[in-house]
Amino acid sequence: MYSQVKSGSLYGLNSEQVIVEADLSPGLPAFNLVGLPDVSVRESKERIRAAMINSGFPFPSKRITINLAPAGTKKEGTHFDLPIALGVMAANGTVKKSVAASFAFLGELSLEGKLNRINGALPLSIGLRKNGIKKIILPAANAAEVSAVDDILIYPAESLGQIVSFLKGKEEITPYAKQLEQKWRKNPENMDFSDVAGQETVKRAMQIAAAASHNLLLIGPPGAGKTMMAKRMSGILPEMSYEEKLEVTKIYSVAGELTEEQPMILSRPFRAPHHTVSGPALVGGGASPKPGEVSLAHCGVLFLDELPEFSRYVLEMLRQPVEDEKVSISRIRGTVSFPSRFLLLASMNPCPCGYYGDATHECTCTQNQIRSYLSKVSGPLLDRIDMHIEILPVKYSELAGLGLDPDQDGFLAKPKTSDELRREVEQARAIQLERYHNEMIYYNSQLTTGLIKKYCTLDNETKKLLENAFQKLSFSARAHFKIIKLGRTIADMEGEERIRIHHIAEAIQYRSLDKMYRGI
Amino acid sequence: MDKIKKVKLGEKDYPELLNYIANPPAILYYQGDITLASDPLIAVVGARKASPYGKWAAYHLSEKLSEYGVGVVSGMAYGVDSYAHKGAVDNNGRTVAVLGCGVDICYPASNRALKEEILKTGLILSEYEPGIPPLPFRFPMRNRIISGLCIGTVIVEAGLNSGSLITADCAAEQGRNIYAVPGNINNVSSFGANKLIKDGAVPLIVFDDIIDELGIDRSGQKRNQKIELGEDERKIYDYIRKNGEVTTDDVCRNTGRQPSQVNSIVTILEMKGLLQTSLGKIFIAK
Repeated sequence: MYSQVKSGSLYGLNSEQVIVEADLSPGLPAFNLVGLPDVSVRESKERIRAAMINSGFPFPSKRITINLAPAGTKKEGTHFDLPIALGVMAANGTVKKSVAASFAFLGELSLEGKLNRINGALPLSIGLRKNGIKKIILPAANAAEVSAVDDILIYPAESLGQIVSFLKGKEEITPYAKQLEQKWRKNPENMDFSDVAGQETVKRAMQIAAAASHNLLLIGPPGAGKTMMAKRMSGILPEMSYEEKLEVTKIYSVAGELTEEQPMILSRPFRAPHHTVSGPALVGGGASPKPGEVSLAHCGVLFLDELPEFSRYVLEMLRQPVEDEKVSISRIRGTVSFPSRFLLLASMNPCPCGYYGDATHECTCTQNQIRSYLSKVSGPLLDRIDMHIEILPVKYSELAGLGLDPDQDGFLAKPKTSDELRREVEQARAIQLERYHNEMIYYNSQLTTGLIKKYCTLDNETKKLLENAFQKLSFSARAHFKIIKLGRTIADMEGEERIRIHHIAEAIQYRSLDKMYRGI
Repeated sequence: MDKIKKVKLGEKDYPELLNYIANPPAILYYQGDITLASDPLIAVVGARKASPYGKWAAYHLSEKLSEYGVGVVSGMAYGVDSYAHKGAVDNNGRTVAVLGCGVDICYPASNRALKEEILKTGLILSEYEPGIPPLPFRFPMRNRIISGLCIGTVIVEAGLNSGSLITADCAAEQGRNIYAVPGNINNVSSFGANKLIKDGAVPLIVFDDIIDELGIDRSGQKRNQKIELGEDERKIYDYIRKNGEVTTDDVCRNTGRQPSQVNSIVTILEMKGLLQTSLGKIFIAK
């Protein structure tokens, strides 16, 4: 008595089809599972036995052999419970073999016979779809997530009993219909840039960073509003495309970060790992590799608060993901690669105590402490950060929403909302996309030296300013190209084809760390 | 590297003013031109952890002294001391560094480039034999030489427990003039210098004060020529000059300009040498 049903296995973000073969033969009752199952799969035997009996189906007292083909690759995950149970029932004659073979199954069983939510349902379904499978039975809790895949019928089920009735034709399960996305849009804290009083300069810098995904470092004393503004960053990035949403949701599915309330990731991610984060948690890792924070921030913002507090070893690990826009993790089974194209947003104090340069608090650090603090972020990582700006606490009059100093003639500009800022960002992005449509890049921060020569020509007056700035402010060579790239972005925000002198002049102000290092 | 030489108390090249202090060093080790030590000198000292204001003041005070041919003495430490030396070497001035260790040792090590600059026309001096390491107790001792070499000592910026106040005490004991650069009273790093003024030091309201104090005639010198500014530049420059230390946001609000405009104009004024930015604030440089 032999049967086979289809399922899938996951490695990294890729999935392949797995045929679950079941064979019942006479002999002493036994339940053997072969095909390199890991512990989570091997334990499924106990869940399956209890679930079948508690759902009112006989558990065959025969010698049961299950093979997960291809038998040579390791399998993991609790989603094999359901296909194995169906394999046993098909071999046993509880359901028809031909009917069971026309579906793919994914799902974890409870002892009671209910179906539990699984991780990685989206990439598994995408893999099955590639293998020509059109009908999938899976836990109802995963249905919304998988509905993002086109051209596939999803049958959401609540329990093993329901599935058997359905396969016998006694009960109908209606395929899941795609829901309106808007329902899942996540905006829990309702964070908007119009909540931030003052800080117009910092907002401007953040907008430029968003317009071309320039990595940004905010330097300022405690209480200046670094974290508050950083949290609003993902709100001014342009809307994600459908492909981006699918890609991000896949990563979250594998990481087990999707919930029933949020089955799809529709707004750009904002990840803010604490500075005690370990290397594998940041870039991904584990015996069977799972995505880290850099991949969970894919298409969004990775915010590293208090940058110098991160361990140096962890910061060094960021270099490859930032440069290559993906993380490759090699294991004995093969190499997994997770995408990691994010905007790096970091913040730091000007010194360990935080008050260097503050007029009202005394800085208690020694000059050497300040130097070693600054030098912690120097070098290769800093090389990958295009903009650094200083941020100072707002004055009371700004906080109170007056917007002007009482004893001065001032003018009050109403703070722009995130929506307004984002529209300007989107315009600038559109210009860049069109300019680079032949170049395999999306935005200015990806420009290489060769491309800078091609797309960023400067007139003589501007070149002279830049040269002057290098001598006066003693910028490093690395700052040179970054300033030109920033100038390109600022010009794009104004819709200007040529980079003008005032674009470069503004860009120079966004390199404050270069100046800090200059001071003795 | 120049050869290390020594001069004994009572010899011809021994710095003249040092003969008159209470406990002159018996031997001085030096590199560079020892005759400089007998020229009219002014000490410019201050906090290692200097604010942008302190660095600015030290640099431009030295620049002013160099312009009138007065040598600048300092201790080659971080912060004010370094800027005092730089102000002189950048403007063809001559400068003396008095160390608290052997003259062959560069302390702090990061000032190696500065040390070489100083040696081109100036002098490095120490009462310690070559090879003696910098230890905390040597610096207060060293300070009596700094003040002792000079007609006057200027304290640029000092906290309440700053070592520069020791230099001021030495200068007072030696009967030399003490000057101080006043600072904002809401800034902790200016307490020391302001307290000196309260105790009788001469405040330098403008840098020219020290030139007048030294009795040098300023009339022959030409004044700075006016730099041409555009309308927007003039407006922003005037606002910053009126208000001193400001942030870009302040400028935006009070001149009705966008941050993008202000940032680019500030860069241009920085290039013209009129402004200076540091730690998120904008200062007047001239």
